[in-house]
Amino acid sequence: MPFNSYPYFIFLAAAVLGYWLLENRTLTGRRVFLLLASYAFYAWWRADFLLLLMGSTLVNYMIGREIELRRARQADRRIFLIGGLIFNLGLIALFKYQTLFVTTASDLLNIGLPVSEFFLPLAISFFTFEQISYLVDADTGKTRNYSLLDYALFVAYFPHLIAGPIVRHNDLIPQFVAKRTARANDLAAGITLFTIGLAKKTLIADNLAPFADTIFNAAGRGTALGLTDSWLGTLFFSFQIYFDFSAYSDMALGSAVMLGIRLPVNFHSPYKATSIIEFWRRWHISLSAFLRDYLYIPLGGNRGSRARRYLNLFITMLLGGLWHGASWTFMLWGGLHGLYLAINHAFRHVTKGVTPPAIWRLPLHVLSVLLTFAATSLAWIVFRAQDLASARNVAGGLLGLGDSAIVSFSPLAAVTLALLFAIVWWMPNSMQIMWRHNPALPSPYARDPVTPASRLAWQPTRLQACAYGLLCIVAILALSNLKPFIYFQF
Amino acid sequence: MEKNRYAFWFLGTVALGIAALMGFNWAVGAYILNHPAGASVQTLAGFERALKPVWLAQIRPELVFVGSSRVRDGFDPVLIDPALKVKSFNYGASSMTPYEARRFAQDALAQPSVKQVVVSLDAFTGNGGPGEALPSFDETRLAVTPDGAPTQRRALWLFTTRFLSGGALGMNALSVYALARLKTHETAADRPDIFNAYSHMTGAVMQRDLAYRRTRTLTMGSGPAREFSTLLASACDANARLILFFPPDHMAIQARYREGDAAALDAFKQTVRNTVARHNARCASKVVMFDFLGPNTLTTEALRDGRSASYVDLVHFRPPAGLWLLEKMGVGLPRLR
Repeated sequence: MPFNSYPYFIFLAAAVLGYWLLENRTLTGRRVFLLLASYAFYAWWRADFLLLLMGSTLVNYMIGREIELRRARQADRRIFLIGGLIFNLGLIALFKYQTLFVTTASDLLNIGLPVSEFFLPLAISFFTFEQISYLVDADTGKTRNYSLLDYALFVAYFPHLIAGPIVRHNDLIPQFVAKRTARANDLAAGITLFTIGLAKKTLIADNLAPFADTIFNAAGRGTALGLTDSWLGTLFFSFQIYFDFSAYSDMALGSAVMLGIRLPVNFHSPYKATSIIEFWRRWHISLSAFLRDYLYIPLGGNRGSRARRYLNLFITMLLGGLWHGASWTFMLWGGLHGLYLAINHAFRHVTKGVTPPAIWRLPLHVLSVLLTFAATSLAWIVFRAQDLASARNVAGGLLGLGDSAIVSFSPLAAVTLALLFAIVWWMPNSMQIMWRHNPALPSPYARDPVTPASRLAWQPTRLQACAYGLLCIVAILALSNLKPFIYFQF
Repeated sequence: MEKNRYAFWFLGTVALGIAALMGFNWAVGAYILNHPAGASVQTLAGFERALKPVWLAQIRPELVFVGSSRVRDGFDPVLIDPALKVKSFNYGASSMTPYEARRFAQDALAQPSVKQVVVSLDAFTGNGGPGEALPSFDETRLAVTPDGAPTQRRALWLFTTRFLSGGALGMNALSVYALARLKTHETAADRPDIFNAYSHMTGAVMQRDLAYRRTRTLTMGSGPAREFSTLLASACDANARLILFFPPDHMAIQARYREGDAAALDAFKQTVRNTVARHNARCASKVVMFDFLGPNTLTTEALRDGRSASYVDLVHFRPPAGLWLLEKMGVGLPRLR
């Protein structure tokens, strides 16, 4: 059930109402209600895969409990941890990567291996990663003997189930049993955040999509893109994915806030970043934190030589890219970011201790933001392209290697781009707008905390209520065209 | 202000806005359906993709026209229905992509009331890729999925489109504005200033068209060819009859097509003919095809200073010409049913 659909609005209203009715009466009842609602939410898409979600939850819970018990008894638990990891990675490999690996092996070895096509269960990448983190934390003693009900709700809790944020058990489960005191505040903040997200999705992202799609589809058909086509296609997609993912994050967090639960901040104006390192502290924050804690650090992190550290970064981002989808283009996207990060860290090492004169600070800041935006936009080409050949077509077009003229650089396109740059670079983001009203858990990156907006900050006044209500109506008017979120495919 | 008052004002604003929106769309929808010239709004440009699938389901026509703006301008049910004694529907939309043409035709074929679907073949030209559609096109409003299976929860999507979409609001506002400007007993044909489909080509329009389309020709890339084949496959066992026609673009512009790429134009026609022949050899429901893209009464009309009785511009024919085409095709007559 996509967040940007009427059935979800009805479902969310029913879930909030039901939860409110049960909230102060029965602690177990409200959690059971939320779990059933979350399963209904998932089953709306395909009921048969609900069994997979439930089965995966049960197996991981049992393994996690066994690890906890063995840890308490100081018995060997490695076999259970390894078994759990194999189970989860095997599940995701079977459903998500099997076709890619078998097809590639078959092509490389020219042996015609049989390929089984599996339908990709929705959200498998997200709920698998969350459960892996639970098993690893159980092994290191960070879990607290959760009940099956709490654990199942942690995995299936509908606001984060489909496309994140990737939530940690210790962030979420304690909130399920906490008593809340400001229901009206939660409802007000939640509906406002949800409305901001809906408006970003239907009014901005969905209107950029057709232009980006037309250009990337043409590249996919082998058209050698011209300069204007490539630049506009790349820029439009960079903004489309920005607003699409930002919208999704706002709607997920807004839905959770209405139910009194805070999810972690997942999106914090990434195009304001002055480096790729900072970009990853602002873009899909929960994924980058997961990759840091459960992949980069176990690989050795920044222990060892600098070369080893850069290699660890590269491997982490390569696998992070592959997490997005079973395609070499995603892997290349991750690899590019791994390379960017390695270069960024090397540059920091080389320039350590160098302080530019005060007069240079602003120009250097602007240059850094521009360079980071250019690097990430270039990487989005391989992320969006259907295959490597079409990515080459788009990238070649940026250098003027092609001659297509699918779109023209009209005054409307110029104004649109100017407005988009103005929004992403100068306006406060939704987290900043809402921050004084506690819309989310803080960012795990202490160096880039969310700070409240000094202008456009949300206040629960009658005027703002009517203004956001009108924004909601305008966003609903544009909703008739059902376009899924980009991150729903992962 | 207390936070619960905030929620009250927010939800109140949304509820009032939605109620007003639904009320407007409901009232205007009823007004259009009951107005004597109401069906002529199907020839208007703007937001067609959003509301026409809803109108198709509401009107339950026997005869449907699918295609680009040529079709949208050229077939007015107000003119056609009394002449051919059918209930028709204009499913044309500006700049229809090959994918959209296939999907709209599939939608029409899947309606139980529909007996004949007339498709203009220019919609299958160009290089459109799979799934390519304009922003306001939405699969969920159509009766069947691209694979031909019934669309899930379609009633819900039609309801929300009809009452809550910006497309419906825009199309309804445009339509009611056009109809309200008609005086008593006036039809769309009397007001070409409002209903552009009834306007006449002028010298200036002709010159602009010749310049605008100077580098164009009608070619069929592999994507459109695939969409066309898929459409015919959908029609194989359909209850409704599929009727295809090459549009009657005026000879003045056909000459430009031939200057541009005559071989590609011929190849387009040949591909269509071959696909239709293959279809008719294996399918129970035969496809009928007519070629007006050549010399005939319409396309050879003498244009004095660019003025025309049959055209709005060199490719968009007027509704009376559309009726003439249907009569030539025998559409609506018992032998084709």
